[in-house]
Amino acid sequence: MIAVVPVRDGELPVGGLETVAECGGRALVVGSGAAAAAKELAGLASAVKAWDTDGFLPGRWATALAPVLVEEPVVILPASPDGRDLAPRLAHALGRPLLAGAVEVHEDRVSLARWGGLAIEDVTPQHHFVATLQPGVRGVERHDGPEPDVELLDPRLDPDVTDATTIEVLPPDPATMDLAEASRIVAGGAGLDSAARFTQLADLAARLGATLGATRVVTDRGWVAHERQIGTTGVVVDPRLYVAFGISGAVQHTSGLGQPDHIVSINTDAYCPMMQLADLAVVSDANMVLDALLARLPERSAGRA
Amino acid sequence: MIAACLKWVDRRPEWDPATSQVITDARTSGLSAPDAAALELALRCGDAWSQPVAAVTAGPPAAEVVLREAIAAGAARAVRVDLPATSPSNVVASALAGVLADLDATSTWCGDHSLDRGSGSVPAYLAAELARPQALGLVEVSIGGTDEVSGLRRLDRGRRERLAVAGGGVLSVEGSAARLRRAPLAAAMAARSAPIEVRVAPAGDPEPATLAPGALRLYRPRARVWPAPDGDTALDRIADLTATGMTKGRPETVILEPDSAAERILAALAAWGYDVP
Amino acid sequence: MPDVDVIVVGAGPAGACAALTLARSGRDVVLLERGPFPGSKNMYGGVVYPRVLDGLIPQWWDEAPIQRWVTRRSTMMMTATQALAVDYRTEAWGQAPYNGATAYRPDWDAWLAGKAEAEGARLLCSTTVTGLLRDGTRVVGVRTDRPEGELSARVVIACDGVNSFLAKEAGLYHDTDPGHFTVGVKETVALPKSVIDERFGVRGRHGVDIEMVGCTSGVPGGGFLYTNLDTLSVGVVLKVPALAAQARRPEEIIARLKAHPAVAPLVEGGELKEYSAHLIPEGGWEMMPDLGCPGMLVAGDAAAFCLAAGIWLEGVNFAMGSGMVAGQVIDRAFRRGTAAGAELPALYRRALSGTFVLQDHRKLRRAPRLIMSDRVQERYPALAAGVVERIFRIDNPAPKPGLRRILRGEQHRTGVRLRDLARDALDGWRSYG
Ligand SMILES: Cc1cc2nc3c(=O)[nH]c(=O)nc-3n(C[C@H](O)[C@H](O)[C@H](O)COP(=O)(O)OP(=O)(O)OC[C@H]3O[C@@H](n4cnc5c(N)ncnc54)[C@H](O)[C@@H]3O)c2cc1C
Ligand SMILES: Cc1cc2nc3c(=O)[nH]c(=O)nc-3n(C[C@H](O)[C@H](O)[C@H](O)COP(=O)(O)OP(=O)(O)OC[C@H]3O[C@@H](n4cnc5c(N)ncnc54)[C@H](O)[C@@H]3O)c2cc1C
Ligand SMILES: Nc1ncnc2c1ncn2[C@@H]1O[C@H](COP(=O)(O)O)[C@@H](O)[C@H]1O
Repeated sequence: MIAVVPVRDGELPVGGLETVAECGGRALVVGSGAAAAAKELAGLASAVKAWDTDGFLPGRWATALAPVLVEEPVVILPASPDGRDLAPRLAHALGRPLLAGAVEVHEDRVSLARWGGLAIEDVTPQHHFVATLQPGVRGVERHDGPEPDVELLDPRLDPDVTDATTIEVLPPDPATMDLAEASRIVAGGAGLDSAARFTQLADLAARLGATLGATRVVTDRGWVAHERQIGTTGVVVDPRLYVAFGISGAVQHTSGLGQPDHIVSINTDAYCPMMQLADLAVVSDANMVLDALLARLPERSAGRA
Repeated sequence: MIAACLKWVDRRPEWDPATSQVITDARTSGLSAPDAAALELALRCGDAWSQPVAAVTAGPPAAEVVLREAIAAGAARAVRVDLPATSPSNVVASALAGVLADLDATSTWCGDHSLDRGSGSVPAYLAAELARPQALGLVEVSIGGTDEVSGLRRLDRGRRERLAVAGGGVLSVEGSAARLRRAPLAAAMAARSAPIEVRVAPAGDPEPATLAPGALRLYRPRARVWPAPDGDTALDRIADLTATGMTKGRPETVILEPDSAAERILAALAAWGYDVP
Repeated sequence: MPDVDVIVVGAGPAGACAALTLARSGRDVVLLERGPFPGSKNMYGGVVYPRVLDGLIPQWWDEAPIQRWVTRRSTMMMTATQALAVDYRTEAWGQAPYNGATAYRPDWDAWLAGKAEAEGARLLCSTTVTGLLRDGTRVVGVRTDRPEGELSARVVIACDGVNSFLAKEAGLYHDTDPGHFTVGVKETVALPKSVIDERFGVRGRHGVDIEMVGCTSGVPGGGFLYTNLDTLSVGVVLKVPALAAQARRPEEIIARLKAHPAVAPLVEGGELKEYSAHLIPEGGWEMMPDLGCPGMLVAGDAAAFCLAAGIWLEGVNFAMGSGMVAGQVIDRAFRRGTAAGAELPALYRRALSGTFVLQDHRKLRRAPRLIMSDRVQERYPALAAGVVERIFRIDNPAPKPGLRRILRGEQHRTGVRLRDLARDALDGWRSYG
């Protein structure tokens, strides 16, 4: 098994390390600053292939990488935004099936998240395949170790394959940084019934000395700024305390959660994944519980920072 | 011609613990939010570039409801490729690509992921099959001159990327990128009986060989690797690993009225050592 | 020239039966529904009495999407710690032509609307009617929330359910006292079929209907518990003003009902699947609006044809019956060329008077008030339960007390006055007798 890890400016994508770990340390890093990024795999990988190439060109990369990877029975990419876009192109170029959104990959058994994380499908591949691994599902164990040997590749880009043009890359909004570093997060999902609830939730967060987060469903509705979205395509957080109001706990969300010491989940569905993860799972209407909590907590006095 | 690839899918699937199956229901099936956004953007391009829009789906006869919705909203043609609802992405993509090539579609709009598979791979496969550029997972779109589109795509860690596609391509969008217009009453009525072209899927074994669907089970998070514990003595390391400095009891599920729920939550926070005003 | 013959607003049981009747007679009917599919947003307790369909859909029982046939019906009077039940079971209700059945509304409504479509009615979902088109006082069509959303018709049938927006807009309601409304709340609780069969003592497709009084924590109303195939419907129907006055939440009252010693063992361990709430026009006869105006008729809950009188909780059958009659009356008027006339509502009322729809409502017109009185709600259950407890309690070495002494003692304890009891008995006899 080999991990194909697309990087930008020498930075590994979310789930990059996990993908390399899933492959037992075998990796091919591609993108701008690939050689530098390969060094980040110290302690995890011993020999890494790197192709330092500009931009993100999934079409051309796939046809260029296919000959390099034909001998590899299993190719795994992180299900990060770039990995997700590159994987089907690679599968197509290699003429192999794609097993997208895996939570666990072995040569002969792959577990795939289905229905937005409601179910897992266990498939038994008979042939070579390409897979993407959900970030955050396995964690990584790193040992101190030397930097890996890096073998530089320089395959030819096929000029006949076209890709979209990148005009600019926008940096993360500074407003998100407090979220990534917060030790207490209060977050809301589609179980909260209106935009006004999120004003209340922000108020609750303030009273608990916590920071506000949300799921993608909520940020998509425009109820909360996109910068507050927690998950693989949002901010990856690492709080000690996580309080989830009306969040189902889709993999894409929970894999951005880190490993909180304590999770409280309030949901009407006792069996959704977020409730399974919770230390305290409260079956109740999140909207009403929010009201009840606010009624019990004093407003944050101006004196407290 | 502009195309919108629309998938018929249950928007409210349920897990049935008795049979370990996801139960779907034709009545709650239809367009997902991303596919509705894709349709709207296809229609907007049609308006901007004065081109007709074709709606295409791969699925069973029941899937035609999504095509009728597209016709009601303004699509000029509707094509269904007859395939089982559970066909894998590459099979779906090659069936769709055949139709798209026939229709001579330059710009093709898709949703960024389907609710059941959720892989978002069909659009990328389409781009590969049609040898066109892809811009996937767009959250914001601006439509330029004929077959020119630019849009904002999410990257990880909160970053964004602005992409441009010229001369046509495969574009996929998240549900928030656009809201589907309401179909006029007369159009909605007429769409009930509008003609839909049905094609048979290409015969023969698809390439590459597809995998047999596997058994389903309820989602459970996978066991995670924890970083090695800190501490000089074995006891310290165990304490670190189990975080016994804090009282973390057994997970607990409680069914409570809102007021009692609030009390219970505040009590738990206090017991875990969080200062709560 | 109007766009269509008839527009039916609302694809509930009333609308579907109206559309089916008219389409079968060859009329051009459009059935407009605001939900994404018929029944998607509709809830009710869970028992339908479909015999009214015998003429419209012969052998309906072979195809209707039912959960279980009700072969056991129990009426329970309760106090906080006691329950006195009259339990009736009969095999007759488990065979054609059957009596009542539990069914899910999304299944039932979608099935009925599907029958109407099969006969040629045009169903359009996700379309909300937002107003009436009028020519003077005549209703000539509807306005919908869609762009270019006006549609004209020779007749409109308002089947838009309780608190009918169309009937109100047409000025047909004269009495909209909130006291006439009850709110129904219901939980659907999942349990394996085998567990339900065992707990309720039924087999196969047979099921149970339990109605309860005295279980609503002091808010006038009643409770119900029905068996579906692998879920239970458990809920309460509550008087709106009292609920508001006591500042109680309906969930709280359901939770207490589920914890009652007579109910808890039946529902224990179930997984909550769904919680829903809906208004019921419980006032029945007393709040009934005018049944139409030129160009429009009203059917089903929209016309308050709902019977929520204690041990009876029926609405779907009245909705289906009134929808069918509305369809028949309109078809007949078309044939005679009199549909445009102002006499349509009168013809409709006359036709309904000959059916159970108006006859039952008239007969039971006093029942809601009686059932909701605090005597029936609190004191009589306490009295009855108390009497039975004393009869079966053995206080040896004390000898058994005489029935008269028991009665007097319990009457005293529960504060029931003989005069009221006699009057209510008479009232009850007049209502139900
Ligand atoms: C490629 C990809 C990337 C994604 N990236 C992300 C990401 O980064 N972050 C992210 O969050 N999502 C992401 N998603 C979306 C993700 O799959 C889920 O759709 C999303 O996380 C669900 O959000 P939710 O829990 O708010 O909504 P739902 O899944 O709709 O859940 C709502 C929950 O609220 C509960 N509820 C309803 N009413 C009440 C009530 N009254 N009281 C209490 N509870 C109630 C319900 O039981 C349910 O559990 C991504 C998806 C894809 C395909
Ligand atoms: C808790 C509860 C328990 C009950 N239990 C029972 C029972 O056990 N047995 C029984 O027989 N009855 C019961 N009933 C009563 C029964 O539900 C109603 O009497 C019955 O549904 C009435 O049918 P209908 O077709 O008139 O109206 P509805 O079923 O309410 O249908 C109205 C339809 O119109 C649509 N609509 C509304 N407004 C518009 C609009 N503006 N434009 C377009 N469409 C619109 C709605 O979406 C709906 O589909 C119960 C009711 C409740 C609330
Ligand atoms: N069977 C299908 N018919 C039409 N379009 C499809 C089909 N499957 C997927 N798509 C399109 O591809 C997008 C991504 O789906 P997926 O790759 O299955 O996650 C969807 O949002 C649709 O636009």
